[in-house]
Amino acid sequence: MSTSTPSSPPLAESLPASSQGWQKLTRLIEPIALLVPSGVWLLLLLVAPTLLILELSFIPGFRLGQSAGDYGIGNYLEIFQPIYFQVILRSVLFAIGCTVTCMLLGFPVAYWIAVMAPSRWRNLLLVAFVLPLWTSSLLRAYAWITILRPSGSLNSLLSALHLPSQEWLNQTPAVYIGMAYSFLPYMVLILYASLEKLDKRLLEAASDLGATPQQTFWKVTVPQTLPGIAAGGLLVFITSLGEFVVPELLGGASSMTISRLIYNQFLGATRNWGLGSSFSILMITGVSIAIALLLKYGDRDSALSG
Amino acid sequence: MSSNQHHGFDGECDRLPLAHLAPDHLAPHLPLPRFSAARRRFLKTSAAIASGFVLSNCARNLSNVNLGSGDSPSPTSNAGVAKNPASGKLYIYTWANYTDDELIKGFQEKTGIQVVADPFDSNETMMAKMQAGGGTAYSIIYPSDYTVIDMVEAGMLTPLDHSRLQGLDTLRPKWQNPVYDRGNAHSIPAVWGTTGLIYDPQKVGKEIDGWSYIWDNRKSLTRQITLIDDVREVMGATLRTLGYSYNTTSPDQIKKAYSKLVQIKPTIASFLTTGWEDQLASGDVTVSMAYSQDAIKLIEEKPNLKYVVPKTGSSVWTDTMVIPKSAPNPDAAYAWMNYLLQPDIAAGLVQRLRTATANQAAFDLLPPETQKDDRLFPTEAMLSKCEGVAPVPARIAEVYDQYWTRLTSS
Repeated sequence: MSTSTPSSPPLAESLPASSQGWQKLTRLIEPIALLVPSGVWLLLLLVAPTLLILELSFIPGFRLGQSAGDYGIGNYLEIFQPIYFQVILRSVLFAIGCTVTCMLLGFPVAYWIAVMAPSRWRNLLLVAFVLPLWTSSLLRAYAWITILRPSGSLNSLLSALHLPSQEWLNQTPAVYIGMAYSFLPYMVLILYASLEKLDKRLLEAASDLGATPQQTFWKVTVPQTLPGIAAGGLLVFITSLGEFVVPELLGGASSMTISRLIYNQFLGATRNWGLGSSFSILMITGVSIAIALLLKYGDRDSALSG
Repeated sequence: MSSNQHHGFDGECDRLPLAHLAPDHLAPHLPLPRFSAARRRFLKTSAAIASGFVLSNCARNLSNVNLGSGDSPSPTSNAGVAKNPASGKLYIYTWANYTDDELIKGFQEKTGIQVVADPFDSNETMMAKMQAGGGTAYSIIYPSDYTVIDMVEAGMLTPLDHSRLQGLDTLRPKWQNPVYDRGNAHSIPAVWGTTGLIYDPQKVGKEIDGWSYIWDNRKSLTRQITLIDDVREVMGATLRTLGYSYNTTSPDQIKKAYSKLVQIKPTIASFLTTGWEDQLASGDVTVSMAYSQDAIKLIEEKPNLKYVVPKTGSSVWTDTMVIPKSAPNPDAAYAWMNYLLQPDIAAGLVQRLRTATANQAAFDLLPPETQKDDRLFPTEAMLSKCEGVAPVPARIAEVYDQYWTRLTSS
């Protein structure tokens, strides 16, 4: 800060004050210059479209190719019709159901990998768990169709075992199965990151002091991993709230979710972009609240590593 | 209107049948010129004010139809130039399965024009892309009949110069002056067909002759039906069974159709425009509502299946060829239309792709068994009961959509 840089001695000798000012300027400009590409990216592809959606949401009945009407809150009033409420409720229930299923299935797995499995296998096990994420979600949904359909592999297996066949495809159970399968890896990764930091001495101390395994789990393990549980739960909830492919392909005739509703408004027969935008804003708001909760209560380190 | 993308897995990601479902695709395409102006204003005034201002411009801009290079008549729109070979590349925006290599190669050999065909899977997707300014590369588009009306109303189409087209007089009379585009002023019929039911007669145990089969047997058909994922087709078919028009604008009649549809809700496994083929072929569902085009395609592989146009009447659709005002290469577009109007070329397409042609001269070239195939070419008696789906006013479209949302979310 005090002396001039070797690269510009003449300037420093003649104009020391100005040189210092120049240095300050570079210090100011450098981070800005480095941030500009990503900043422009965010501005053009995230902030601007979101603001555009926000604006469209305040033009009742806005349709592409027709003259836009006046601003108003008509779209937001329309959202609160009972039929749409049902759709929103279904989306939320799907998301909650998926989160709970992932939690119930994911916790034992994460616990086993982090605490009980031999440590040299840990990375391999984790990779094995994340592997399904490398395939397209569309392919995974189609795979579940092949498994769950009435003449599919599940029912062939059941009939071979002389068990009654199940008709899950095109109904709610198929949606839960497909969605839980999609989001389980996220849950396991986040819980693993949290469980890995578990202080095992506390577990030993608890059993030394006479706690039953159950008590140890609920009073020692769970409180320690609560931030991880919150992070995993919220992250899965947020992602599954906007899930489109699985309910659409596996859910059958009664599976309209808010994502599909938005799609219908933009690319369906009515092409009511105004209403679609207001639904998008509603969803963005809901997800933002969930993210705020995640930042406040979640285990940030494990959420980020996940 | 028909879409046949169920086997599209070999294409790029964009061409997957469900790629359009990805939420990112919902983001509107911002017109670029407007946006660079936006950047400058961002720098001038405070970001908040500027963004509000600029974005309001964007919204207004979205409501103006993109007319591309403008309304000025094409410099080559006189008949004499038609003899000059057009050159360059021709981008066409069409349904999957409407072109094949043989067609594109033949066209290139004859004219020297290289053809690039991009598929779309619904008229609405195509309209959204064109109106948001993302389709300026295309010189030929294949909209369905009701979308032609929409596009003409939105001022998106170039009136066709009939002096540059040879073979319009060989079209079947019904398509010389179609209701959706009088005198073929903006469009030329390419492929047409009906909507009907496809089923396995052995599994059903009898011949199905109409929509009423579903209502009569709704107790035993739980989750055994797939319907087309299109509000107007499904509501229209139901309206038709009630004796109303496919294109009714009476909210009362639409409500009655909805109430009737609710009765068969338990029988509906899923709403699928594509993807039902596999489920039907394997016997997971008993009956599927389908476009004739897709049904015939499946029957080629599974001859035990049967396609029927309901006796109470159904919808008849025409997919057309149009030239958008934004077309960069209208000469090549005319060349393409003329090539497809040639009877031998059109007949070849019928043979290879099993698409129905509206060209009488091409029809005459077909072998008798194809001509007599009433799935491909329904008889006049069948057609007289059918209707084309036409656009309805926005407020009625909303009524349809609300009942549809109610139906698919109950």
